[in-house]
Amino acid sequence: MPSICFYFEVHQPFRLNHFSVFNIGNTRDFHSTYFNQHLNQKIFEKVAKKCYLPTNNLFLDLIRKYDGKFRISYSLTGTFVEYCEKYLPELLDSFKELFKTGAVDLIEETYFHSLSGLYDDLDEFEDQVKMHRQMIKRIFNYKPKVFRNTEAIYDNRIAQKIADLGYKGIITEGAERILGWRSPNFVYKPVNANLKVLLRNYKLSDDVGFRFSARNWPGFPLTADKYANWMSNSFGDVINLFMDYETFGEHQWVETGIFEFLKHLPGEVLKHDNLDFATVSEAVERYNAVGDIDSPWAISWADEDRNVSTWLGNNMQIACFNELKDIGRKLKKKGDRDLLYIWRLLQTSDHLYYISTKGFEDGNVHAYFSPYDIPYDGFINYMNILQDLKEKAESR
Amino acid sequence: MKIAMIGWEYPPFKVGGLGTHCYGLTHGLADKNVHIDFYMPKLRQKVKSDNKNINIIEVGETEVYPYDRPDDKELGGKFFEAVYRYNDLLVQRVKGKYDLIHCHDWLTMKAAVALKEKMGVPLVLTVHSTEYDRSAWIYPNQWFVDIEREGMQKADRIIAVSEFTKRVIVEKYGIHPDKITVVHNAVYPIGEGEKRNLILFLGRLTIQKGPEFFLKAAKKVLEFEDARFVIAGAGDMLPRLIEQAVHMGISNKVIFTGKLTEEEVQHIYKISSIYVMPSVSEPFGITALEAISAGTPTIVSKSAGVSEVLKNCFKVDFWDTDEMANKIIALLRYDSLRDAMRQSSKREIQLFTWDRVAERTLDVYRGLA
Repeated sequence: MPSICFYFEVHQPFRLNHFSVFNIGNTRDFHSTYFNQHLNQKIFEKVAKKCYLPTNNLFLDLIRKYDGKFRISYSLTGTFVEYCEKYLPELLDSFKELFKTGAVDLIEETYFHSLSGLYDDLDEFEDQVKMHRQMIKRIFNYKPKVFRNTEAIYDNRIAQKIADLGYKGIITEGAERILGWRSPNFVYKPVNANLKVLLRNYKLSDDVGFRFSARNWPGFPLTADKYANWMSNSFGDVINLFMDYETFGEHQWVETGIFEFLKHLPGEVLKHDNLDFATVSEAVERYNAVGDIDSPWAISWADEDRNVSTWLGNNMQIACFNELKDIGRKLKKKGDRDLLYIWRLLQTSDHLYYISTKGFEDGNVHAYFSPYDIPYDGFINYMNILQDLKEKAESR
Repeated sequence: MKIAMIGWEYPPFKVGGLGTHCYGLTHGLADKNVHIDFYMPKLRQKVKSDNKNINIIEVGETEVYPYDRPDDKELGGKFFEAVYRYNDLLVQRVKGKYDLIHCHDWLTMKAAVALKEKMGVPLVLTVHSTEYDRSAWIYPNQWFVDIEREGMQKADRIIAVSEFTKRVIVEKYGIHPDKITVVHNAVYPIGEGEKRNLILFLGRLTIQKGPEFFLKAAKKVLEFEDARFVIAGAGDMLPRLIEQAVHMGISNKVIFTGKLTEEEVQHIYKISSIYVMPSVSEPFGITALEAISAGTPTIVSKSAGVSEVLKNCFKVDFWDTDEMANKIIALLRYDSLRDAMRQSSKREIQLFTWDRVAERTLDVYRGLA
């Protein structure tokens, strides 16, 4: 009997201001000069109105309507929570209310949605996981049992670290590279760690996330009963449907009928005797691992490549990434808390994502999310800011 | 299909994008089995056709003048006189059975309109620039505007080299948009050379091309990074620009080459590290494609037609010399940026072929035949 494990990533980055070479060395208040507060607030409020608030309300209704049989999980990044606390506390309240129903689970991740899991050592990664842990404790008084790294980036080293930090499960992409012939609809364990791995069923997840409104897709139009039928006919223990929360109302606009689809989905799913819903914690508790996952190189859920080339696929990205790590070493020696926090905000993976020059198909997705016209502009802006921060790290 | 194309300049004797365009277009069309009689003024040296479908017919005698408005009154007078003489001669000399006439810009419009009426065949007009561009939108000369408007009105179809130019033709000349087809320009591959620490401006030294903004950006860059700035081309702003460079205290870093030969142009593209096209008003800007073809990362003005179609280049406002300098400095500092841009832009311009231009132009012809 497959359990449907619905999980949503909720994240907003702190987008950058235009920062020219002439600004380097002339900044005083870095927070307001590095980050475009006006744009960020505008985007956050727009997405909250179109997606976060209506989707939260809908899910709260559905959970109540089906008496807790409809179960979901969230991962909220630290930057997202900071946005809520600054601009829209009632949004955070609405997440708290969802959590109080008992049908909602919370997932751990790095506070800054960073690529720190790919650094030469994992100290910074561990710090950011702990910061997230403290935040969830503070707001929800809860300790997550399942971890998902930024954009589901996963390798053996990260799995080992997460097991050491006491988590029961980890989420990543159901990529062929690690699965081979095997199905993502089972729980696995890392070859080198005592942990359970949940693998995203990317076909079924992307049917909603990417293809829902694609008229040239044979599955169009996707209705709740059709989708529930597909899942009922699926083989396995668990169907992991992981997607960006912004799918609802932002990537797929309200006009596409996405909210109607969601509204009817729990009812249609529960019509099938062989289907139910489970949170990520329940999925790792309920099912035994059926095999090993070995991932010496990092995979992720991004783009067609499903590796880290989305963030580190060209030399501009690698140059920034190296600069970022170098600044970190300098700042850690210095121990300036303000600068360290700024450095961490700059680690948010989106900044590198905007510099991706990947091909047409994927590039289109990138362009949609990017505040820059072209990746080269993203590079110059980010690099200029890093140079300014580096000067500060080296002086004072 | 047989057409009469009326041009002004043709390689190897050319002063700008018009000659490059006519060469690429006629060869692209010839490959598609269109027979072309290409009419042009007779120059000191004979221009020979290198294609059996292209027949070059020289009419009258003139020198190749830059087709802007020279400050030099005497030269200007000679130039207009030459244009008039050429147009008059064309009306007498163009004979034969053609499916249509195709002319380029105001230089040949008068003759083309007269010939259309005399021969009773359709007229296609390609607009490479308008008086508004050439005057950089400062006091456009009504005399040119009127010639241009008449040609545009009489033409059966108009080809504009960019959406930007199409918009000017609609808004400033009152032409119906349905009559206008946009066909962006193309480039013949140039090939890369060994790069030196040179930042290049190439074009006529006129207000339209914005060389003074290039100098202002140079001054800002030189406060941070060392490089040589090359200003290649001739024009009436040359003395003023030299003076400006001296005044800014950067004359030891700025090289004025004067007018370059075709070989020298190719060479300078190949050895330059960055190409900047800060035009105030640029209907297309083939030089951006040429620079990219030579492996040179390129910064173009947002008011250039090429910026509509080219993704892998920087786009700045021509007046925003801070941003221009910001981009030049980043390109000088970061190999990763330079290499990424060079590679992606070279890949991208493989789509800009004269074959594509000829195909689109032929579509326009077919619509009339």
